[in-house]
Amino acid sequence: MTTLETIPSELAVTTSWESKGGSQWLASDALEVRKMAEVMMAHQGRLLTITATQLPEDGGMTLDYHWDLDGTLLTFAFVVENNQVASIFDLCEAADWIEREIHEHYGIEVTGREYEPLLLRAGDKMGVNLHEEED
Amino acid sequence: MSYRIPMGPYHPALEEPYKLELVCDGETVQDAKLNIGFNFRGIEQLAETRNFIQIVALMERVCGICSNTHTLSICQAVEQIAEITPPPRALYIRVIMAELERLHSHVLWAGVAGKLIGFKTMFMTCFAVREQIMNVLQTISGNRVNYAMNRVGGVNRDIDDPAMILAMIGELEKDMVKTVIPVFTTSHSALSRCTGVGVLSEEKARSLGVVGPTARASGLPQDLRRAAPYAAYEEMDFNVPVEHSGDVKARLVVRALEILESCSILRQALSKLPAGEIFTGDESEMEIPEGRGFSRVEAPRGEVIYSVTWGEDTDTPSRVHVRTPTYINMPAVRWMVRGARLADTPLIQASIDPCYSCTDR
Repeated sequence: MTTLETIPSELAVTTSWESKGGSQWLASDALEVRKMAEVMMAHQGRLLTITATQLPEDGGMTLDYHWDLDGTLLTFAFVVENNQVASIFDLCEAADWIEREIHEHYGIEVTGREYEPLLLRAGDKMGVNLHEEED
Repeated sequence: MSYRIPMGPYHPALEEPYKLELVCDGETVQDAKLNIGFNFRGIEQLAETRNFIQIVALMERVCGICSNTHTLSICQAVEQIAEITPPPRALYIRVIMAELERLHSHVLWAGVAGKLIGFKTMFMTCFAVREQIMNVLQTISGNRVNYAMNRVGGVNRDIDDPAMILAMIGELEKDMVKTVIPVFTTSHSALSRCTGVGVLSEEKARSLGVVGPTARASGLPQDLRRAAPYAAYEEMDFNVPVEHSGDVKARLVVRALEILESCSILRQALSKLPAGEIFTGDESEMEIPEGRGFSRVEAPRGEVIYSVTWGEDTDTPSRVHVRTPTYINMPAVRWMVRGARLADTPLIQASIDPCYSCTDR
């Protein structure tokens, strides 16, 4: 089996990869953010970024973690629950600015680490969802 | 006793505004804190108000140096969603534009590095050479900064006379081999300011996830043109220069060698340019279906990633996320300047070839 094929079982999920839009996708209710980071770092995966998306009609937020594994783009999809997500910064340093930006732009609390806003925006707008602010 | 020195947001060593707060003990830097956000334009959110034609022009403004990279990235992402394959000639032209952009970016950086080293003659020489590259870009596109070459489904302009461009590339390469590259790879004046300075170890580079020449100078042989080829890179024969010392010199040498590789790729692409159309589809009838598309491009500074979501029955995307190379490389500066001399910090921060407009978006 290839590394790609073993990852779902290492993450204890029963779903398999789906190829979509130029990335391999893995989505499952059983996925855990920190377990994903541990497994990807163990395979020398490289965290590329995290895409935060607000779903229409107050459907909540999703976070898609994009990794590179030997040139293959892998995406792990998560639904944000209780407006918070566990930090992976202690497992993967590359997550530092990305997590801080997600807090700053979407108001999602990143738990398990101390952080300051990235200060991309003006100081009175920290942790406020840009889209809701616009409304 | 330690003291703090702010560098920026407006400082002669910075090409764009950002701030480094340096904690020093005497002349030695102990730690640094980085502040960005001085160029935030809300481009990701603005992109959600643009259709598939307008968004290309918008994303071209993310960066003034690698503008072509951003149009290529957004077009590739939308093409993924719409399942459009541009014609072979368009893919070759995309490679040519991308390599010309890499050339002018690397030569511009060499000039800036020359200035920071205190070698102003080199700055003038590099900018004279870069002007030749800008002339080639202008000959092809009619523009010097935002080339407006990419469109969803291909490119906007053809290269009518590849032989003329080839001759210009030949002249350009001759000048670079004669002046820029020897100075940065053999000159004692240049190397004494760069050797052993601003070291980023391979382990730290891997942990921070750095990209592009910054990663390759720390021993990580990653290059998307090789690992995940896009456009026509699969048909190009080229080397990926890698250095292992992780210092400013290594970053300099990697870029110098990449200049030669870019010239080689340009010669291949121009001589093998396939005949045919330069775009596919009719923009007036094109509709983008619901879906997600990703695009990764090896920009001069490293990997750019676009994540685009298109909703159902809509002219505009519901989400566009951009991750630029400086965004992921910049945190490494904190580790590069630790233990360095204060006087070396301008050169060290410049050695990642930072772009803050890209970073802030």
